[in-house]
Amino acid sequence: MTREEILNKKPLHVLEKIRENLERLNEKMEVMIELQKHGHKDIQPLPDTPLDVMTLLSMPDHLRKTAMTICRCGRATADEVAQQTSRARAVESAYLNQLVIMGYLKKERKGRKAYFYADRDSQG
Amino acid sequence: MKMGKIIAVHSYKGGTGKTLLSVNLAATFAKHGKKVCLFDLDFRAPSLFAILKAENSEYWLNDYLNGNCGIEKVLIDLSNRIQGKDNFHVALANPATEAIRDMSAKDRKWEMRALGKLLSLRNVLLGEQKFDYLVFDTSPGLQYSSINAIVTADFVVVATTGDRSDVNGTKRMLREMYNLFEKKTGLVINKVLDSASKSKKDEMNTRVKNVYQAPLLALVPCFCEILRAEGNLIFAQDKPTHPFTQILDEMAKKIEANEVN
Repeated sequence: MTREEILNKKPLHVLEKIRENLERLNEKMEVMIELQKHGHKDIQPLPDTPLDVMTLLSMPDHLRKTAMTICRCGRATADEVAQQTSRARAVESAYLNQLVIMGYLKKERKGRKAYFYADRDSQG
Repeated sequence: MKMGKIIAVHSYKGGTGKTLLSVNLAATFAKHGKKVCLFDLDFRAPSLFAILKAENSEYWLNDYLNGNCGIEKVLIDLSNRIQGKDNFHVALANPATEAIRDMSAKDRKWEMRALGKLLSLRNVLLGEQKFDYLVFDTSPGLQYSSINAIVTADFVVVATTGDRSDVNGTKRMLREMYNLFEKKTGLVINKVLDSASKSKKDEMNTRVKNVYQAPLLALVPCFCEILRAEGNLIFAQDKPTHPFTQILDEMAKKIEANEVN
């Protein structure tokens, strides 16, 4: 790699890092806003709770739509869920993170992408 | 390429004709040249094994949902029953008392996994094995196995009768379950008396419009021949000119043409 290439790459790398951190910050803000809307003050995740059909039935409509999409896809990003539900990515991101906090979904980061899934394989 | 569909046949109460409709609807699809698999998801009262005379299955749907085998081990090719070839398969529920007891005692985590297993049939059977229709015969009311089936399905055939408690329960289920899961539904009003009279037809159509507020798929008269057959006949195959067979033919055509909803 030439010196010029390294110089060109570094600012890009820094910008990528900033963007990544901003996205994570944004996600946290979305969760806090969502929790505030529903009257919850603490953001302590609840223990794992099975995302079964009775739970789906008792959920508020807006969360059910998101949770159903994850059930169908198995594993998806907020972007992928948003494509299925025709709602904004930021909205889905907030709902998905809320479902994580409620213990229904798990979240796993791979590089810049965050994947959400219902943990069907854990024991218990 | 067009993906196949999962159809659940469900009802609020028992005895509405779900199994009769499921078997004959699946057979009708197969006669229309579609590749079909019929599932017995009524684990509390399995019945397809008896109707289809397939009591010696090595693997059951229970084994698939318990994670003991793949779905291919469960499927039984009964195409010869409808004089077809590789187009009529069944997946049966285990009728043994011990198996029924075991399925009645599953916890929420197991039911969640079972939902995942049913949802994965879409990829395996509709995607890889190119089935056109999976028909789920379910248990009545709101219980895990039937709601899992409804969540998995693309379309729900809701069987109902004129019984007052059934009308009331079906109305609530439409509003409080199928609609919440955003499911497409089609009503089949079964055991209709005097179905040929215009006034009866008008009464039923008014009920569908005002009470159920859901699309009507078919009105099925009360046929004594069905009772006399005692579950020994698949009308769609064995009685091709019977009016019940013709009603099913129309019903299947509506579903195939995506005319409902």
